Amino acid sequence: MILAVARRAVPDVWLLLAVAGLVAAGTLMVRAATMETPGALSDEAWRQLFYAGVGLLVLLGASRLHAGVLRQLAPAIYVASLLSLVAVLALGSDEYGARRWIALGGGVTVQPSEFAKIAVVVAVAAYAAERDGGVKATLTALALVAVPTALVVVEPDLGTTLVLGVAAVVLVAAWGVSWRLLGGLGALVLSVLPIAFALAVPDYQRERLAVFLDPGRDPLGSGFTLRQVEIALGGGGLTGRGLDGATSALDGVATRASDFAFAQIGEQMGLLGALLVLALYAVIAWRGLEAAISAPDRFGRMVAAGLTSIIVLQACMHVGVNTRLFPATGIPLPFISTGGSALVGMCLSAGLIQAIAAQAPPKPRASWAAERWG
Amino acid sequence: MTLTPAQRLRVMQGAILFVVAVLGVRVAAMQWFDPVIPPDYGDGLAPRLLEVEPPRGLIVDRHGEVLARNTPEFRVHLIPGELPDAEDARRRALLRLEEVLGVPYAELEAAATSRLAVIDPYAPILVKDGLDQAEAIALRASAAGHPGVRVVASPSRVYADEASLAHILGYVGSIPEEEVEALIAQGYPLDGSIGLMGVEAAYEDALRGEPGRRLVLSDPQGREVEPLAELGARPGADLVLSLDLGLQRATAAALAEGMERGLSVVRHNTGQARPAPIPLGAAVLMDVHTGELLASVSLPSYDPNLFVDGDSEAIADIFTDRARPLIDRTYMEVRSPGSIYKPLVALAALEEGIATANTHIFSRGAITIPDQYNPGVVYVFRDWMAHGNLDMRGALARSSDEYFYHLVGGYQDFVGMGPDVLAAWSRKAGLGRPTGYDLPGEASGLVPDRRWKEAEFGEQWLLGDSYPYSIGQGYLTVTPLQMAVMTAAIANGGRLVEPRIVHGLREGGLVHALPPAITGRLEGSEAHYDVVREGMLAAAADGGTAATGRPAGQRIAGKTGTAEFGLPYPDGEFDTHGWYIGYAPYDEPEVAVVVFLEYGVGATHAGPVAREILEAYFAQRDAPDAPDASGSRVEARR
Repeated sequence: MILAVARRAVPDVWLLLAVAGLVAAGTLMVRAATMETPGALSDEAWRQLFYAGVGLLVLLGASRLHAGVLRQLAPAIYVASLLSLVAVLALGSDEYGARRWIALGGGVTVQPSEFAKIAVVVAVAAYAAERDGGVKATLTALALVAVPTALVVVEPDLGTTLVLGVAAVVLVAAWGVSWRLLGGLGALVLSVLPIAFALAVPDYQRERLAVFLDPGRDPLGSGFTLRQVEIALGGGGLTGRGLDGATSALDGVATRASDFAFAQIGEQMGLLGALLVLALYAVIAWRGLEAAISAPDRFGRMVAAGLTSIIVLQACMHVGVNTRLFPATGIPLPFISTGGSALVGMCLSAGLIQAIAAQAPPKPRASWAAERWG
Repeated sequence: MTLTPAQRLRVMQGAILFVVAVLGVRVAAMQWFDPVIPPDYGDGLAPRLLEVEPPRGLIVDRHGEVLARNTPEFRVHLIPGELPDAEDARRRALLRLEEVLGVPYAELEAAATSRLAVIDPYAPILVKDGLDQAEAIALRASAAGHPGVRVVASPSRVYADEASLAHILGYVGSIPEEEVEALIAQGYPLDGSIGLMGVEAAYEDALRGEPGRRLVLSDPQGREVEPLAELGARPGADLVLSLDLGLQRATAAALAEGMERGLSVVRHNTGQARPAPIPLGAAVLMDVHTGELLASVSLPSYDPNLFVDGDSEAIADIFTDRARPLIDRTYMEVRSPGSIYKPLVALAALEEGIATANTHIFSRGAITIPDQYNPGVVYVFRDWMAHGNLDMRGALARSSDEYFYHLVGGYQDFVGMGPDVLAAWSRKAGLGRPTGYDLPGEASGLVPDRRWKEAEFGEQWLLGDSYPYSIGQGYLTVTPLQMAVMTAAIANGGRLVEPRIVHGLREGGLVHALPPAITGRLEGSEAHYDVVREGMLAAAADGGTAATGRPAGQRIAGKTGTAEFGLPYPDGEFDTHGWYIGYAPYDEPEVAVVVFLEYGVGATHAGPVAREILEAYFAQRDAPDAPDASGSRVEARR
């Protein structure tokens, strides 16, 4: 019954269910992690619930969008996104030493970089849709990525920077750029990386990298946090310590429900919960790239591939940080971490992937079923 | 090998699923195969994050003399969560504790059911403190078998036995109710303490240090079973004050005596209903080059140890005392300066070309101004005596009011500078705004001008407002600290130093001095400054009004002030504030002194206080084993 309703609402039910499952897990996690009085919802949990609702509405709305309209709007979306990134640097509020948020009043803040990721994918896809990936076109497309990335670097927001970089690679690959050009660009990036590291990576990030490589070195306590993360995961065991707001090994970590959301889930819901969450991201990867593969045109293919890879690779980086495979940097877990902009932005991405999936030519079996039973 | 874009996406799909699978294996290892601690910890065990408060930094004077230190205080804590759950058993347990501890049952019951106990049953609740070591040991032994009670040693603050330090040191107390949330967010424990006034509050972050954290495994009783992770605390830095404890004591003693003598200006048996006089006073001794205060006293004061001990009756007395001893009169409260303002008026007049050093004015003892609408009415502005013919230096030395009436209000052919020009110079001298002192709650004072009066009263500025203004009365108000900055500027050639009570921070035995700061300049030619200084030198010489402030054998610059206030007596006279400003030595200025007495006459009462302070300063400076003022003698004494 629910499946039937969902089938009518969106083109790809699997994708919808995976997103809904992650959003639900995130809300439960935030509720338990921020619980002050047993059983009650904290302000943070109410906010997460609210944005979950907004996000699902945005998802359903976006899935009805026609890909052609999106393509026409691409330049406007891109420019608006650049303006918002400039605005955040000019007007934004500082938190934890970075300038990433714009206050809209009423306690609502927006993080423009969360939407910039989508704008970059859509803009590059629209640009690439009309031409083949020669040297010049490829460099132009990369410039489209580089400008917002530079603005994000200044904030500074290393997590989003990395995600944008990965998105650029995926987009170029999905475009059909030749291997030789890809290899050349890769070599260029590898040679520029050390210089960029020296110039653009702020001291606290370098310190974090050093702590990652050597947890004993711990001037700011980030090694202590990493230790807390290990203990949280270990303590979660197979089935977890429950969702009733019990004391956590992550107590005292300010970003436990955002940058360390996965460890929090592992502690609360155990290995089974953690693996389920990973499996849901695998579903998104599978269905999102299926939508890309069956898209009728290059624009659709690139949008679906780009947005899917942003969601899934961001999740992988987050899990990598939480399992000590990756240096500690603040990357929220898509659909799960606190943060309204990130949640709504991710739901928008999922909705746009649905919109691309809607364009796929009907499968023979589906049409046969329709003839037989419709 | 060429792949179609669709084939490439298939490869990507495979690659991503592979990465997710690798992550899954990694998570499984961390949670199941190879966890850092056993899964689920064991029965009923739970992680618990503990904050480790570092020892608070000491407060020492500039020579390392300890003014505030930590001492272990023994207290008894109740842990409600460890008491038996069943009501009967719980009651019996509390009754036994009543017997052992000597704390009434009702208090124990209240502690066990307090709001905090509901939120966190394992949070310790204070039920008895102020134990000495012997009592604590005895109690620890007798309470050993009882659940829910703990005898702990926690650091407490003890302040030097010198009441005049109270305003400066402030005190440490429990976290104020209205700030609980914000402070807990900053990592303060709920039962923690925080600096609440004075440097304890202003330099809280430095004194507190960085708390450490311990993650432990604890059993349901809140007992620590196993440490899991630890982050070391960074101890608080010691605060090195600019004060010299010896000078502070001498200043406080001199000021108290001056206040007592100054009370003689109050007349009794006048037949009037007058409020009883409340004697107040303030005195500061400041380095004219750095702004560091060597002594700063406001009386009456209080004993900061009272707040640490929490003696509520004594604290209530402090809060209801009519003299409001919590107010530091050196910078929190404003008064009319009276004639100590005249050096600034003189400098302004010289700079504005209103007068020169040789401008002579004849003082007859008063000037008279006819009412501008009713010539029959004549207003009289008196001088305190008829001085005869005076030049600028003489007018400062004799503190002639008439001379300064001319400079600001003008008289007959003489054109004065007017209130707006004088206001501009007052602001240049740092009046009308906080000096930037490093303690909180500084008053600004008031610099009146035409626009201010119209905005405030809707009335025009009158000549009758300018005359009192010229001698530091009327609407003008200042703090003693502002006067110290002004005096230092006259001594050092116009630099407005930022007053400081803290010389620096001491960490690991090394003192990091805070750099001195200049907040502005009182621009004036050296020649004009010299006229003002020579006037103040003459004032402090024999025959000048400020001679009472000069220590024997010294050359100093000085100026007295006597400002009327309050209700007039039947004969039209008023009570007066007594002021004294000065700097010394005259030729190579080192320190500025300011004395304020709520009741007193500048020359008669404030002057001798200043003299005693300067005598103490020179005695200390010239003593054979004089500690040098650079702070290098400040050594680690824990």
